[in-house]
Amino acid sequence: MRKLLSTPIIEKCMPWVLPVLLILGWSILSNTNVISRKILPLPQDVLLSFRDLLLSGELIEHISISFQRAFTGFLIGGGIGFILGFINGLSSIAEKFLDTTIQMVRNVPHLAMIPLVVLWFGIGEESKIFLVAIGVLFPVYINTLHGIRSVDSGLIEMGKVYGLRPASLLWRVILPGALPSILVGLRYALGIMWLTLIVSETIATNSGIGFLAMNAREYMQTDIILLTIVLYALLGKLADSIAKFLEKRLLQWNPIYHK
Amino acid sequence: MPTLNPSTHGVHLRITKLHKSFGDQQVLQGIELEARPGEFIAIIGRSGCGKSTLLRMIAGLEAPTSGDIWINDLQVHHIHSEARIMFQDARLLPWSKVIDNVAIGLGKEDRYKAEAALEQVGLGARANEWPSVLSGGQKQRVSLARALASHPKLLLLDEPLGALDALTRIEMQQLIESLWQQQQFTTVLITHDVEEAVILADRVILIEEGRIAMDAAVPFSRPRQRGNAEVAAFIDNILKRVMGITEMESRVVSKDLPSPLKKGS
Repeated sequence: MRKLLSTPIIEKCMPWVLPVLLILGWSILSNTNVISRKILPLPQDVLLSFRDLLLSGELIEHISISFQRAFTGFLIGGGIGFILGFINGLSSIAEKFLDTTIQMVRNVPHLAMIPLVVLWFGIGEESKIFLVAIGVLFPVYINTLHGIRSVDSGLIEMGKVYGLRPASLLWRVILPGALPSILVGLRYALGIMWLTLIVSETIATNSGIGFLAMNAREYMQTDIILLTIVLYALLGKLADSIAKFLEKRLLQWNPIYHK
Repeated sequence: MPTLNPSTHGVHLRITKLHKSFGDQQVLQGIELEARPGEFIAIIGRSGCGKSTLLRMIAGLEAPTSGDIWINDLQVHHIHSEARIMFQDARLLPWSKVIDNVAIGLGKEDRYKAEAALEQVGLGARANEWPSVLSGGQKQRVSLARALASHPKLLLLDEPLGALDALTRIEMQQLIESLWQQQQFTTVLITHDVEEAVILADRVILIEEGRIAMDAAVPFSRPRQRGNAEVAAFIDNILKRVMGITEMESRVVSKDLPSPLKKGS
């Protein structure tokens, strides 16, 4: 059994067994009318509406808009979080000055700011980007700070004895030492990025995947709503895979990532 | 070594009236020590006697409370560019390949020096591996190569072999001795192993209660034989000296408070 389970093909397929079973179960339940089609549409209907939306170009448009928002917000929030984490990690004076404020702001649920954000920015791009940026900032900040603080001080001392200048000490010792933790923050932030985007797109928007779902609700098109949910799941998985790929690439030196 | 002039190989190390205290605790009290260029001295002592602190001060990692350390005619104020330390833990950067670890602090044009140093410790073939796949002894050899790659004039060894198994240890001692003989850098070895000190050093120095309690020249020719009766007797004598003082000291402690506390009151 063990041997069979570790053949390459089966190993590749294994993660997808559960999703396929879920879809099968769904298909059986709705095809046999155990669950009303108004509540849970047929899988084939979802596929059909997927095809229609794809052919009309609407789907690509909405996905690319959502993707742009997510990416821009992530860059801004992640960038600020990284810089703040870096500064506070290196200088305890900066940490004293900034950390309390950051922790207070962090503990405000950023989605609670939606009403305010809508008042400030309206329902345009800025409001979504702002929310994503705020959501992403803190996990990146905390993990960067933690990563830099936990770099082995023996290695830093060694770097100094061996004549590394501050810039190369940062680049060769501190940054790589903090990287595992920074990447954990990145992965966590990617999850929050989608979550924030989904919520903010369903509340106030006129484009994007969330808009597609809200618009479909008006007309009781459950197939399209389900399609958007599947899309979010796939996009989330994609983001996570990219993060995993980065981890494997950047942390090759770590025996944990050896295959 | 073809490129270096023999007279410039080792530095002259001179330490005068060196004191170091952490808060109320006096760690070193008036150390006077001199090492000729190219000399190999070993400093022994029980743990907590301040030998590591002394080494860190020679390296410029810590500042003396009072007193001076001179390397040639320059007073040590901060990290000295011609001194290299080999630490007890190898302190290799796990995210840099072996060769990049050895080349740390060297310019790009000096990379060949790193390759040569790695060759000298017998690990030329492992240049492109991650440090995590090496054994403890191999890691220490890489760290020795790293220390020697820049052709230091002063090599400071902070119990570098303490964590190795007995066989690897003997191998490393032989390697250190032969590289020292080739390159003639001045060497200060901190160790708690009397045998290691006697096998490797020209002089063995014992630190007790923050002072130099013994400074003995080792009279045997190299390479020294561990099994040799005279060497063994010499080692034994030093050991007795270390232990004997310990017994006397414990009697003193039971009768009276140790001197630092008395001074404070």
